Amino acid sequence: MSDVLSSYAELASSRGLEQLPAFDPGPLTPLLVEGKGQPLAPALRGSLAPGVEGVAGQLAYKRNKTFRFNVALTEVPAATAFAPRVFCIRRGRNTRDDEFYGFEARHSKLWTESTALNDRYAVSTSPYQDPNWLRQLFSPSFVDWLGSRPPADFSFELAYGAVLGSIEEDDPGADGLAALCDATAHVATRIREECEE
Amino acid sequence: MQLNKVGISLIAFFGLGGLAVAIAPLFVGMPPEAAFTLVLLGGIWALTAFGLVLYARHQNRKAAHNDWIFQQGLRGTATILDAGSSATVNEMPLMSLRLAVEVPGQGKREVKRREVMPVFTAARMQPGLVLPVYANPGDPSEFVLVW
Repeated sequence: MSDVLSSYAELASSRGLEQLPAFDPGPLTPLLVEGKGQPLAPALRGSLAPGVEGVAGQLAYKRNKTFRFNVALTEVPAATAFAPRVFCIRRGRNTRDDEFYGFEARHSKLWTESTALNDRYAVSTSPYQDPNWLRQLFSPSFVDWLGSRPPADFSFELAYGAVLGSIEEDDPGADGLAALCDATAHVATRIREECEE
Repeated sequence: MQLNKVGISLIAFFGLGGLAVAIAPLFVGMPPEAAFTLVLLGGIWALTAFGLVLYARHQNRKAAHNDWIFQQGLRGTATILDAGSSATVNEMPLMSLRLAVEVPGQGKREVKRREVMPVFTAARMQPGLVLPVYANPGDPSEFVLVW
């Protein structure tokens, strides 16, 4: 834990972020719901990258064992009108199955139009998501970027304007945390650009 | 198709299990009372499997109809006027929503809707939130709420 604390302190120092003992974001995305109300601790608040304000922190919770994620959270409120929820989750990451118990209508569906994207991520949306908006969001350059630039264990969730980037490494170091903040900020900026189109 | 492995397993369990229990007395010697009990139990299980098949078909048709509304429907908006929950289904809140639905060509109207939603979605159902909707062109009372 002390290594993680020093990683966050180093990131705070290098980017001028405010250090918080803990931060409770509320149940904004599926990963934060999984956290069962656990706050982000340690946490940092401020500019994740130029022009993108948010919070970074570590989410730890127990289910059958302790799970740890480092996350960066920011907001693009305008996205709700275009895409209430888009989850781009690294393939291989264990997540809860789709709240689907055998007979009910599915609450989400996989978006599989981009094979390049689907090699690395499972992308799911509302079953009634406008596919044209998604095609525009996942432009070839954005897909290229997602496939090559973020940390290897990066995933993001967009839910009602909240953008949560996450990585699974327990202590990625200050550089890893910086890469998480940069990747999340890039995703948020791309979503914002598409909303403004 | 709305069935997944869990649904198929449930139908198979009750259907095949019920059949096995019901015909077991034919192959195993047992008192008539015990045989009657097993046949009755097997019949109940088989009926349960039949009910599950009917429910799955109903859900499948409902999903297909919603898909049709999404593909052919008129796009509009729904503004949440009021939202609350007093029950859960499979750990998910059953939300009661009061919505102002506005669809081009169909005008603006206030409707009530109940939806089972994941926790993170339910938490966002606050007055003022605007969500997309797709309405049946021939029946404005039918619409798909995109959440």
